[in-house]
Amino acid sequence: MNTIKLFVRWRSPSILLSRTITTKKKLHDPSEDEQLPIFQYPISKSSDRRVYVWGLAETGALGIHLPRSKKSGKKAYRNNFNLVWHPMRSSFCERFDVTKLACGYGFTVAAVKTNEQHKVFGTGINTDSQIGYHAPRIGHPLEMLLSPAPIYIPYTSLETKITGLAAGRAHTLILTDNEGVYTLGNNAYGQCGRKINPNEEYRGSMASHNIKRLGKEKIVDVCCGQDHSLFITESGRVYACGWGADGQTGLGAYTNQGFPALVKGDITSEKIVKVASTVDCVLALNEQGDVFVWGFGLLGLGPNVQQSTKPKQVPAPLFGRNEFNPDSMITNVACGIGHLAAITNKGDLYMWGRNRHGCLGLGHDKDQHFPLKIGIGAHVLSVKCSVDHTVAMCKPFT
Amino acid sequence: MVQIRNAAVAYKTLNGLICVYKPSCVSVRQVQHIIVTHLCRELNDLPGRPLEKRVEIVGPTNAPMEVKLVPNYADDPLVCGPRYIHEDIRCSWATHLGLFSSGVLLLGINDGTKLTYLLNTARPTRAFKVHGQFGKGTDTYFWNGKTVERASFGHVTRAKIDRVVAHIQAAHQKTMYELSGLHMDSQTTYDIASEGLLRPANSKLPVIYGIKCVHFDPPNFTLEIQSVNEYDKYLWTLVHDLGVQLKTVAHCTAVQCIRQGKFTLPLALLRKHWQMEHLLNNMDQCRQILEDNENLLRPKSAQLTI
Repeated sequence: MNTIKLFVRWRSPSILLSRTITTKKKLHDPSEDEQLPIFQYPISKSSDRRVYVWGLAETGALGIHLPRSKKSGKKAYRNNFNLVWHPMRSSFCERFDVTKLACGYGFTVAAVKTNEQHKVFGTGINTDSQIGYHAPRIGHPLEMLLSPAPIYIPYTSLETKITGLAAGRAHTLILTDNEGVYTLGNNAYGQCGRKINPNEEYRGSMASHNIKRLGKEKIVDVCCGQDHSLFITESGRVYACGWGADGQTGLGAYTNQGFPALVKGDITSEKIVKVASTVDCVLALNEQGDVFVWGFGLLGLGPNVQQSTKPKQVPAPLFGRNEFNPDSMITNVACGIGHLAAITNKGDLYMWGRNRHGCLGLGHDKDQHFPLKIGIGAHVLSVKCSVDHTVAMCKPFT
Repeated sequence: MVQIRNAAVAYKTLNGLICVYKPSCVSVRQVQHIIVTHLCRELNDLPGRPLEKRVEIVGPTNAPMEVKLVPNYADDPLVCGPRYIHEDIRCSWATHLGLFSSGVLLLGINDGTKLTYLLNTARPTRAFKVHGQFGKGTDTYFWNGKTVERASFGHVTRAKIDRVVAHIQAAHQKTMYELSGLHMDSQTTYDIASEGLLRPANSKLPVIYGIKCVHFDPPNFTLEIQSVNEYDKYLWTLVHDLGVQLKTVAHCTAVQCIRQGKFTLPLALLRKHWQMEHLLNNMDQCRQILEDNENLLRPKSAQLTI
């Protein structure tokens, strides 16, 4: 055998130099294993969070367009694309410890854990100064931010922590632990909780309003509808302000409300712990983790069901409850205008509904008639849906 | 149980499905060969049919001739060879098991080959126990490959494995809808999907329906996987991927099939029982199972048959 090998090698050394005649698999020596180094991969902390974004990126609401350094020339931004078809990890949230997120119509705000001045960052559409005043030149405020920028808010103490965020069509509510609520943006209907001034110019406005207390009580939760705002106080009272043309403020009148007022009706005697406000469709959740849906749109009850006046259950097998996995249940729900989302106790995100600008993250823009799992490589904790983009807060597996 | 008197009766009863336990490092072909050899040998040992007689007409042609029956040596097993040989017994597997996998293997004998074809196209789920080990990564993802990497695994906990494994399972739900061959926007699809799991329309891509960690004793772990269309190398890669997701490396140490459709481990015949008596018994039990579950062979809808 060796002589053949040598002979062949001698005849055409250039071709067969590295070839061997035998095709038998070489058995490896187990002692070689011991010489390999033991590699230690980096492991995340339990407090680490990952934020995934997808949907329409043209407005800058995803905050993925990061500025390049000046040297590289041609393109001003990295990741310069219009749509994000699949969930994409936000690098802004890798650099800062993001605690809260909120999605408005074409903009996103994120609260960062810090003891410095800039605690809240915003990106996206800024036509009504809903994410603060940003002007590269004096008198020329930006109407759209492609990458996240800090929002200036006059906190009284730098130790203040952000405990809640909410965003509506063109306004933002920032809830702090002991300074009440700061409101920014459009106040045309009084959704910022201050006096309505019909001549006010919202573009390039530096105004932010502070609501310290409501009825001498601390505010513990905020919620934004399209053009109205809801506040919950410590004792479980609900206050509302903003657009009331369809009675969404619940104040017994169809007028706009400038200052937050106590919501009337049956809930005055109840202790309210959570409010939610969406547009056309409503999702509800029971203790067994079943999802109920009613309203208008693609509700997840099949292509033939366009609207439902009574709550109907979305079949649990669609959320992955089957004979191999009987204990799967939904723990969290969210909905945007036409798309709905649910999170299971295993940290899987299911979405369905109108797929405007790929906001379902399925890789295409066809409508989805029943819940489908979204491919995110992390344990999903919460999800925020907007008109055309979605943001999910996740925890890494290890 | 048929009382076996002679080889012809025994051969006629050998039609159907058998469930055997395939040991690892013995290929499916070898299993077939062993079983067929055993069957042939035992058929030949049974009392066979009587030898054919040869008719001999002797004597002068112009006188009354004598007709004699003499033994026909051309029919003697010593001349023409054994009565039953390998070619007489057809044998096919329902779903292949790799060389290094062990466990439940369904084989069709003679007319049972049609059953294996039906069983294969009906695609019942198979359950596997996949044993793995953290800390070492090999080039083939199996224990017999060359070690390419070693990594620490002290941070891996049961809860973390469960989380990753649940994610893998949920990720296959989308594959399930895609491979079912149903149109995603139709009401029929919605109705079938809301009933439960769907069966893949072809055998091209593996689908995992259930996966969970049943044993964890660092560095060893065991996964229980219910799937369709999988193959041994796919299960090895699954273990490798789990290792990567958990920020360490892992390799597979053993793959055992514990269930195929309704055929479970207690039914499977061990190698020492691969004899005609036990095989015929086993064939009866398998026939009983197939009669009780008609869906196993001819499923009527796109829904998954366990």
